[in-house]
Amino acid sequence: MKLLDHLPILFGLGGAVAALACADIASPSRADRYEWRRIVATGPGTADTLSFHWPRSRLPVRVWVEDALNLPSHVQGGIEQWKAAFLYGEFDAVIVPDSTTADIVVRAGIPLKGGFSVIRLASTAPECEGGTDFDLPSGSLELQPPIRVFINPRFDPATPGVAECLALTTTHELGHAIGIFAHSPVATDIMFGDPVVPALSARDRATAEAAYHLQPNLSIGPR
Amino acid sequence: MRAAVALLVVLTAAGQSAAEAQADFYGRLGLTGATKLLKDDILQQIEVRQSLAPTLALGVSVPFTPLYGVGLEATVTSSGFHSTESGSQTDLGTLRTGSIMLGLGGPVWRQLRWRAGAGLLSYWPAEKRGIFLQGGSTRFLVGAGLDYQRPVFPQWDLMVSLRYDFHRFTTDELVTRGFSGTQGVQRVSASVGLARGRR
Repeated sequence: MKLLDHLPILFGLGGAVAALACADIASPSRADRYEWRRIVATGPGTADTLSFHWPRSRLPVRVWVEDALNLPSHVQGGIEQWKAAFLYGEFDAVIVPDSTTADIVVRAGIPLKGGFSVIRLASTAPECEGGTDFDLPSGSLELQPPIRVFINPRFDPATPGVAECLALTTTHELGHAIGIFAHSPVATDIMFGDPVVPALSARDRATAEAAYHLQPNLSIGPR
Repeated sequence: MRAAVALLVVLTAAGQSAAEAQADFYGRLGLTGATKLLKDDILQQIEVRQSLAPTLALGVSVPFTPLYGVGLEATVTSSGFHSTESGSQTDLGTLRTGSIMLGLGGPVWRQLRWRAGAGLLSYWPAEKRGIFLQGGSTRFLVGAGLDYQRPVFPQWDLMVSLRYDFHRFTTDELVTRGFSGTQGVQRVSASVGLARGRR
């Protein structure tokens, strides 16, 4: 009898909860992104599209950085920015003390390109330059680690604007190293060929997310 | 987490003084299961969900008529949470929740009582990253449940409880990233403990 007395309250509460429970959260459109894959001509009228991201089994990616030009701080900042681009733990990286175990090696300077198998993606800001080398042997779909990043000031590092350039160029080059193999055509993106913004844009984040949720056709060899 | 501990200490203290005023106070341990926190679509569908969570509940209930009472109940849970994409799961770390709910209770049948109320639920991620990059969130909560009490010692009852609650989930990071609306999250818990108080 007492239960019957309370049924209206319980059904009322249940009905209110059921009404509230209907709608799901709506995810944002991530359509505003740029092409991140490397499209290489393979012959007349034919091309191949190369894509890569670090597999979960290799996370956190190990990064070694030369202690010059304040690069350790710039690399740490770049890692934090790219980690923050992801919502579901798609990417993680740590700085390691020994380059022999590193997946990515970051050095000051711009050496000559290492060989025919090396693909270099370069950035060309006015105050500094950067490059990222991937070793992809001919006919192979397996990158050979480490991925090598180079950062080089065009002027004395104490010149105004150079430190900022080194920081954003480091973040830009790390973007290549995590799998964004192309440049954005928009200057407000960190992956613009001549990067000028210090932080990732929504388009950079959407592009990185897409890169990590599409099955890549390149893998990376053991280190 | 410190806030939760402080809350539990206050509740326990309140329970001790309330006992002198013919109130029930109780503690229970159990498990809580929850529906998904989030559904997303980045080329493929992704779901984020908490794992089954060990749960501690502490509360006090004060009668205002011979049959009905008003109560305050606090719960804390701790478990992992993970994303699922194309059938594969990724561990996203540890997620703790704390809730406090003010409610009413009344009899159902013999030693079975109902309880319903409203309150607040906070999410406390172990790490500020991913969907919790800007920290946890606090949400309104409504819930209801059933309590069964049976005397086992002169001053103590065995208490078995079932709880259901509902809230709408989002975080500051999700809002910043352009998610709109909120996700309805339903939780069910079962717990066993001891209650001390009026007979």
